[in-house]
Amino acid sequence: MIINGFVPKKPFALKGFLTTGALSLLLFFSYTTFGQSAEAEKNFAVCKACHTIGGGKLVGPDLKGVTEKYDEEWLIKFIQNSTQLIESGDAQAIKVFEEFNKIPMPPNALSDEQVKDLLLYIANDGKVSGSAETAVVETEAVEDVNESAEQLLAELKRDDARNMQTTFVVLLILLLISVFDLVVIRLIKAKWIHIIIILISVVVMGEILFVEAAALGRQQYYQPEQPVWFSHKVHAGQNKIDCKYCHFTADKSMHAGIPPVQVCLNCHNQVREGKITGTEEIAKIHQAVADNKPIEWIKVHNLPDHVYFNHAQHVNAGKVDCNDCHGEVEKMDEIIQVEDLSMGWCVECHRTTEVQFASNKFYEQYLSTHEKLKNGELDKVTVQTMGGDECQKCHY
Amino acid sequence: MEKKYWQSLEDYKDSLKKTTESKAEAVPEFSIEGLDESEVKGQSSRRDFLKMLGFSVSAVALVSSCQMPVRKAIPLLNQPEDLIPGVPNYYASTFFDGVDYCSILVKTRENRPIKIEGNNLSPLSMGATSARVQASVLNLYDDARLKDPMKEGKAAKWEMLDKEVVKSLENLRAINRKVALVTSTIISPSTRTLIEEFTKTYPNIEWITYDSISASALLKANDINFGQATLPSYNFDKANVIVGFNADFLGNWLLPVTYTKQYSSRRKLNKANPSMSRSYQYESRLSLTGSNADIRYGIKPSEEAVVLLNLYNRIAKATGQPTVSVGKASVEIDQAANDLLKNKGKSLVVSGTNSLDIQLVVNAINHMLENYGKTIDLSKPLNIRQGDEAKMQQLVSEMNAGNIHGMLLYNVNPAYDYPDQEAFKKGLTKAKLKVAFNDTMDETAKLCDYVLTTNNYLESWDDSEAVKGIYSMTQPTVRPIFNTRQFQDSLLLWLEKGMDFSTYMEQLWAKKITDEAMEVGDFTSFWNQFKHDGVFHHETEVDHPEFKATNLKAAPAAKGGMELVLYEKISIGNGKYTNNPWLLEMPDPISTATWDNYLTISPQYAEEQGLAKEDVVTLNGLFEIPVLVQPGQPYGTASLAVGFGRTDAGKAAVGAGQNAYPLMHINKDSFQMGGQIINVEKVAGKNYPLALTQMHHDMEDRPIVRETTLAEYKKDPSSGNELHAYDEEHNATLYGKVDFDGIHWGMSIDLTSCTGCANCVIACQAENNVAVIGKEQVRNRRIMHWMRIDRYFSKDEVNPEVHHMPVMCQHCDNAPCENVCPVAATNHSNEGLNQMAYNRCIGTRYCINNCPYKVRRFNWFEFANNNKFDYNMNSDLGKMVLNPDVIVRQRGVVEKCSLCVQRLQEKKLTAKMENRSLVDGEVQTACSQSCPADAIQFGNLLEKDSVVALNKEDERTYHLMEHLHTLPSTSYLTKVRNTEA
Repeated sequence: MIINGFVPKKPFALKGFLTTGALSLLLFFSYTTFGQSAEAEKNFAVCKACHTIGGGKLVGPDLKGVTEKYDEEWLIKFIQNSTQLIESGDAQAIKVFEEFNKIPMPPNALSDEQVKDLLLYIANDGKVSGSAETAVVETEAVEDVNESAEQLLAELKRDDARNMQTTFVVLLILLLISVFDLVVIRLIKAKWIHIIIILISVVVMGEILFVEAAALGRQQYYQPEQPVWFSHKVHAGQNKIDCKYCHFTADKSMHAGIPPVQVCLNCHNQVREGKITGTEEIAKIHQAVADNKPIEWIKVHNLPDHVYFNHAQHVNAGKVDCNDCHGEVEKMDEIIQVEDLSMGWCVECHRTTEVQFASNKFYEQYLSTHEKLKNGELDKVTVQTMGGDECQKCHY
Repeated sequence: MEKKYWQSLEDYKDSLKKTTESKAEAVPEFSIEGLDESEVKGQSSRRDFLKMLGFSVSAVALVSSCQMPVRKAIPLLNQPEDLIPGVPNYYASTFFDGVDYCSILVKTRENRPIKIEGNNLSPLSMGATSARVQASVLNLYDDARLKDPMKEGKAAKWEMLDKEVVKSLENLRAINRKVALVTSTIISPSTRTLIEEFTKTYPNIEWITYDSISASALLKANDINFGQATLPSYNFDKANVIVGFNADFLGNWLLPVTYTKQYSSRRKLNKANPSMSRSYQYESRLSLTGSNADIRYGIKPSEEAVVLLNLYNRIAKATGQPTVSVGKASVEIDQAANDLLKNKGKSLVVSGTNSLDIQLVVNAINHMLENYGKTIDLSKPLNIRQGDEAKMQQLVSEMNAGNIHGMLLYNVNPAYDYPDQEAFKKGLTKAKLKVAFNDTMDETAKLCDYVLTTNNYLESWDDSEAVKGIYSMTQPTVRPIFNTRQFQDSLLLWLEKGMDFSTYMEQLWAKKITDEAMEVGDFTSFWNQFKHDGVFHHETEVDHPEFKATNLKAAPAAKGGMELVLYEKISIGNGKYTNNPWLLEMPDPISTATWDNYLTISPQYAEEQGLAKEDVVTLNGLFEIPVLVQPGQPYGTASLAVGFGRTDAGKAAVGAGQNAYPLMHINKDSFQMGGQIINVEKVAGKNYPLALTQMHHDMEDRPIVRETTLAEYKKDPSSGNELHAYDEEHNATLYGKVDFDGIHWGMSIDLTSCTGCANCVIACQAENNVAVIGKEQVRNRRIMHWMRIDRYFSKDEVNPEVHHMPVMCQHCDNAPCENVCPVAATNHSNEGLNQMAYNRCIGTRYCINNCPYKVRRFNWFEFANNNKFDYNMNSDLGKMVLNPDVIVRQRGVVEKCSLCVQRLQEKKLTAKMENRSLVDGEVQTACSQSCPADAIQFGNLLEKDSVVALNKEDERTYHLMEHLHTLPSTSYLTKVRNTEA
C-alpha cells in the first residue's frame, strides 16, 4: 500500500486534478466501455452488500420479484434517494423502512436510465442479458458459521511449531546426556545405544534447524491485533459481501487495497451497532472521519521488497480465487496469514495452475504452444509453461 | 617461480626494474607488527575460545529474538475515483524553464511524479524529450529547494512578506521611482497578460526579459530584413541541404528536441527510395551537431563572417545579385554552395552566432536561396529566447547610477550568469527593494531581501505558446511539497484579483476563444480536452513577410591569438540545473567527461605547448582549469562550457568546474559565446583529475560501428555490412537452436539516426533507479548507467568522423555471462531476456568478465542511504523519485539493463486484462519511448510486421561483435553518411 516508507502527508492533490486525471486514465488505459447490462452488473455490486436476488433477506430485502411488487417510478425514486422519499411521508417507503429495522438505504448517484437498467437486471434474476453466466449465486441461506475452522487449523499448526521447539530441547538434552555418559561417567556399557541416540537427535535437530532457518523472516500464522476489531466472518461470511466490494482495486492494481473509510461508510452511515461489539468498534470509523485521520491497519500479508506481486494479474488475468492465497477469510474474525508466502509456495502454484490459454486472446500469439496442445505434446498450459517460474517474472 | 609474459620491450624493462627494486626493499605484503605471538603462529588460546563462544551465543540470541517489524497499511481516508494505489496516472504537461521547451507526460504513482515521457500529441516535440527534460523530475525533489519564503535569509510568513513588498511597491509608485522586473523569456500568454496588467497598475515598473544565452542578433536581423523582431520556425525536415555555422541545433540551439526529430526524419533509409538530407557544419568546436554532420569544417569564430560572405558571393554570383568584397575563406565552400544552389527552396542555412552582421548575411543567403516560406517560416514566430541584452546592459548601468529603486527578479540568476556580474551585484545593492521569485537560494536570491519561493513546474499551472498558434498546458501533478507559491499567484494576490492563477488562466482562455472566434464548441469540454491532451493548436494563415535587403558589412579581418568558444553542455545547459546529480554524471556525448568543465584544445596546440589531458592552465589569469585534448577542435581555438562553477546551487554542484560566464564576449548590444581572445598559461606541475567514461577513441580495428556512404548504399544496401553475411554463414554451434514462442523481445538501433544526445541515458536512469556514484567512482570506472553512448573517432585527429553508438545489455540468446554464473543468478527467459536476479547474485563478477560488451555493473558500494554518496538516494526527499516497481540494488550485486522488464510486464498484463493481443509499438522501453531521433526501436521479433522484425531483415542490420556468436536480441543498423555528391 505504502511504498518504501513514503507516507503521503497530504494525501490528495488539488480538486482540479480529478477531471484531468480521469481523462488521462481514459486515454492511457484504453478504457473498456460497458454495455448497459454489464454496467448494471457493476452497479449491482454496491447493492450486493445488503441485498440478494432470491437468496433471502440480508440487511435489506430479497430483491426477487421486486419489480412486480412495486411500480417502476416509485422504485427509481426509492433507489436514488430513499431517505428523501421517507421524509416526504410516502407511506409505502415508510412501511419498508420500518419493516427492515429502520435502516435506511444509502442514496445512489444513478440516473433514471441506469436504475431502469438495474431493475431489468434484477428482473432477469441477476443475469446479464445475452449471457448465460449467473452474476449472483447466493441461493444458500445465510448460515451461522459458529466455528471458525480456519482458526482452529491455524492454532493446531501453531501448536505444531511449539511441539517442534519442545522436541528440539528434549533431543538436545538427550544428546548432551548421552555424550556425557559416553565420555565421562560411562554408566551404560553398550555404546551402540549412545550412537543411536546421538545420530537420531543430530538428524532430527538438523531438520528442525533447517526448517526454522528457512522460515526466518516469514510470518505464517501471523495475526496481529488490528486497531479496529473488524470481523471478516461477519462481513464476508454472514453478510456475504463480495471481497472486491471493499478491496475494490484487487482486479485493477498490484495492491488489493485496504478500503478507505468512505467505503465503510456506505453501510456504516446507517449501521451503527454491531451484534458482537456493539457501537464501540463502529464508532472508530466515525471518529476517523471526524479526526480526518485514516485508520492505521496492521499489514498482515507482507512480501519482501524484492518481490513484485500483482493482485490484478492473479485476480483478473489468472482468475485465482482470493481464498486460494488468503484462506477461508469468511470464517476468520481477525485475519490470519494462512500460507507462508514463501517462494516455494509461489512456484508450486505456478507449476500446477493452468493459465486461461484458450479463453484469453492474449495467448493467441503463442503459436507453437497451440500447436503442441493440438498434437498432444502438451496436455495443459500452466503458468510455468508460459515462463512463470523465471526469475524476472517477479524479481526486478 | 611463475613465468612472466611481457607485451613489449618497455614492459619487459619495467618488469626487470621492478624485480630489482622489490628485492632491495623486500617488504612483506602484510605487516605483522602489533599482533600477538599466538595470533601470528595461528594458535588459539583459551581466551580466544571464550571470545568465540560468547560471540556465537550472542549472535544466535540476536537472530532468534529478531522480531519482524510491524508494517502498517494506511488507506486514504477518501479515495478519489482516479487514484488507485499501484496504478500510475499520466498527466499531460509542459516543460519550459525559460530556455528549453518540451511537451510532456508526467507519470505519477501514488500522486508523486516519478518519470517524464514525451507527449505524442504535440506538433512541436512529437513525443520526444531531451536529457534535461528527463532529469527535470529530480529537480522537484532537490534538497536545495527553499522550504519557506525568506526575508533577509530567514524563513518568514507569506502574509507579512506580501504586506511589506506591496507597501514598498506602493511607496515607490507614489514617488514615481523606477522599479525593474527582470524575468527570463516568458512564453505563457496568460502570464504575459498578467505581467502587463501588473505593470499597468504599477506604471513605474519596467519589464525586462533577460536570457543568459539569447538570440538577440537574430531577432534584430529579422527586424531589419522583415520588419518583425521574431524568431522563425525552422523546418529541418523539409531541407535537403543544411548548412550550419556554429549552430548546435541538435544540442542547444533554440528548439533542439524538435529539430532533432525533424532532422532525423530525413535520415531514415528506405530501400525503395534511398534519400537523405545532407548536413554541412562550419564550427569552432566539435559540437553534437558537428559530430553528426556529413561534412564538417573547423573554423575560428573570427573567420565565420569571412566564410559566410564567401558563400554569399558564390550564391549571389549564381543568382545574379551584387557581391560584397571579402578576403579568401580559410576552408572550402564550393561543395556546400553547389549543393545549396541545386536545392533552392529546399535548403537551410543557419548560424548560432549572436552577431547582427553574421545573421544579416545568413538571412540574405536564405533569401537568395528562396528558403523563406518553405524551410524557414516567419509567419509562425518562435516565442522562446526573447532576451534583450541591450536593455539588460542599460539596466545594469542605470542600477549603478542609482536610478533603479526596486528590483523584482523572476527565474533569472544574473549574479551568476551575467557576464559583468560584479557590476550587476554592485548595482543591486543600490536598490531599496530587492525581491527574488526563486525556488532555491541561488547567487542572485542570496543578495535579495525577499525571496518568494516559487513552485517547481510540476506543481504549477501555466500555459505556453512556444510557436504562434501552438499552445500547451502546464498543470500541477503534485501539491506543492513546500511552503511555496507560484510567481503568478503572487502577482494576482498583489493585484487583489481574488483568484488563483488557474482560474485567471481559464477566464483569459474563455475570453480568448470568443475574441478570436475559435471554433472549439463548449468551453468546459474544450478546457478539459486541453488539460487532457496538454496541447491545442489554432493556426491562422498569415502572409509571410517580405524581405527587405540591407547593406552587408564587409567582414572584419580574422584575429590572431587563441580564441575562446563558450558552449552549453548537453547535460546541464546554462547552469540552472547544475545541482542535478543525474545531469552532472551524464557523460558528455563528445568528450565523455562528467562532473566538471574543462578547456578543450586542439591536438596540434597541445603538442606545441606540451599540454596533456588533465594538465591545469590559467585562463586570462582568472581561474585555473584542466585541459582536455579534443580531436576536431580547430587549431587556434579553445572551448569551455558554461553552467559550472555555481557557488550556491546545492550540494551536488559543489566543486563542479569554473564559472565561464565572465569570459563572454560583450558586444555593444549582444553577448557572444565565441571570439574572446584568451591567454592560456600552463600551471607547471599541477594536475586536475577529470572523470571520463571512455578513455580511448579507437575501435581497435574491430567492426564495431559499421558504416557506409549513401552512394555506396544505393549500389548495395549491405555495403559496409559485408561481414554480417560472412559471420552468419560461419557461425556454428554445438547447441541446439533456442526456440521462442509468442514473444521474443528485441531492439533495433539505427546508427544513422542516432545523434548521441543521451536522452536515453537519463530516461533509463530515471526509470530504473540507477545510482549516482560521484566523480571519484566514475574515475574508477564504476559508473552505474545501464546504457552508455560509445563515441569513436575515425579519419584524422584534426577533423575526425564521429560515431555515436548506444550500448546496453544486448540480451544475447547465447549469452556468455549466463553460463559462468556459479549460482545461476543470471539466466535466460522464455521471452529472450537475459535476466538478472539480484537476490541470488553473490557478486563473483564472473559475468562482468565474460561479457564482451561490458554492460554489466557491479555495486561496489551501498549507493542508497550512504552519506559517502550524498545524492538523491541519500535523502528522504530525493528518494521520492524512485520507481516503486524497480528495486534499489544493494551492495555486492551485479546489475544491468533489463529491457525495462517492469514496463513489458505491465503492458502484457494490460493486454491480458483487456483480453487482446499486444499491439506493435505499445510496449516501449524508457530509452525507446522518448528517443528524439527515433533511433531506438523496441518490439516483438516474432511479430511479423513489427518494426524490429522488419529491421532484422534489413541488409543494414548487424549485431555487435557478432563473430562471437552471442546471438544478441539487440541489433544495429549501419551508419550511412551522405558525404559524396
